[in-house]
Order: sequence, then C-alpha cells, then structure tokens
Amino acid sequence: MADRKLANHIRTLRFLQGEMTQADLGARVGVTRQTIAAIESGKYAPTLETAMRIAEAFGKRVDEVFFWQVAP
Amino acid sequence: MESIKDSVPSMPYRERAAWLALCAMGLPFTGYFVWVIAAPPTAAMPDWSTFTRFGVAIALQIAIWSLGTLWLRRRHPEDAAAPLDERDLAISRRSIQTGYSILFAVTCINIGCVFPFAQGGWKLINVGLASIVLAELVRNSAVIWLYRRGFHG
Repeated sequence: MADRKLANHIRTLRFLQGEMTQADLGARVGVTRQTIAAIESGKYAPTLETAMRIAEAFGKRVDEVFFWQVAP
Repeated sequence: MESIKDSVPSMPYRERAAWLALCAMGLPFTGYFVWVIAAPPTAAMPDWSTFTRFGVAIALQIAIWSLGTLWLRRRHPEDAAAPLDERDLAISRRSIQTGYSILFAVTCINIGCVFPFAQGGWKLINVGLASIVLAELVRNSAVIWLYRRGFHG
C-alpha cells in the first residue's frame, strides 16, 4: 500500500462558507477549535462520527471533505 | 484564503497544562533526588530529615501546579472551561498507557535486578518514588509530544 495520509478541504470549505472560523465549526461539530486546527493541518485524523459531522456542517459528503493524499 | 482569521493560540490549552504539570513535578523532584544523592538518608527509620525534604518537594509541586493552573485559567478562560473532546481524550489515553508502561518496566527492573528483595527503608522508598516521578514525567512528555507532532490514533 502506498504511503499516504488523510487530507481535507476544510480550510477551503470554511472560506466558501463566508469565512467560518475554526471556533464556529468546532462548536457545530462538538470539538475544540484546536482540534479543528489539528484536523485541518493533518495532525489529527478525526473519528468517523466527527468526520461525518464536519461534512454535514458544510452540506457535503465525507469523501468530498476528506481524501487520501499520497506522501511524496 | 489568507483572510480567514482564527485566533487559535499557538499552543493548545491542554498542552500548556501538560507543560505546567511537567515543570511542577520535574523541578522540585529533580532537586529532591539531587539532594538525596548528595546527602543519602540514614538507615534509621523514621528519618525526619529525608521526610522533610520529601515534604518540601511535594509542597513545591502543589504550589507550582496550583498557581500555574490559576494563571492559565485566567489567561485562557474559554479553553479552560471547554470539556475534553475526542482528540484530548485520545491523547490522554495514549499518554497514560505510555506512562504506565514505563512505571511497570522500571518497577520490574528495580525489583528484579537493582534491588532483588535485598534492600529496604529509604532506598526502596526513593527508588519507588523515582519510578512514579519518571512515569509521570513520561506521561506529560507524551501529551506534549502528541499535541505537537500530531496523533492519528
């Protein structure tokens, strides 16, 4: 299996949602803003439940928010 | 994209708390063990001199941790009030697991190799205390490491 990591479009989606802050998204999802920052930067892989809540907050499917990124 | 303002502090509150706990335990007990090595306790029990050193170390730990926690809570009231989320809990579980493994390994090495049921008194107490302090330092270091380097379960 190729070396890959979980990446996401959260930052872009927040921008498209009228510059939604990490704190706003965290409050909607039920995690702290630091955890949203960690997820965005790839430092933390969320549970399936949180991933689905994040996708729901943007009105997207999970695979439209999260994707595999092959490590260079 | 650059216009998104998030005001996220450079260090999560729980990581700051782990730094505080690390310093609160590390500084007084480093002093305690340096003191104990420089002036070993007598064989007599109770050894009130060593007991006093231990009391000073514990009192310093409580004072540093309490004052530091009050200061942190005043500076970051919202973060301090926020309940632990899934990442905090996952990091907490992993760091406890790491700290316990260290405690178990060091205790077994001490009992089986260093002091194979041949020592007692303050020597044994201090080795046990050192194992607990080491495990706690490793646990707090693991919390800091996992917040800094990332954690993927």
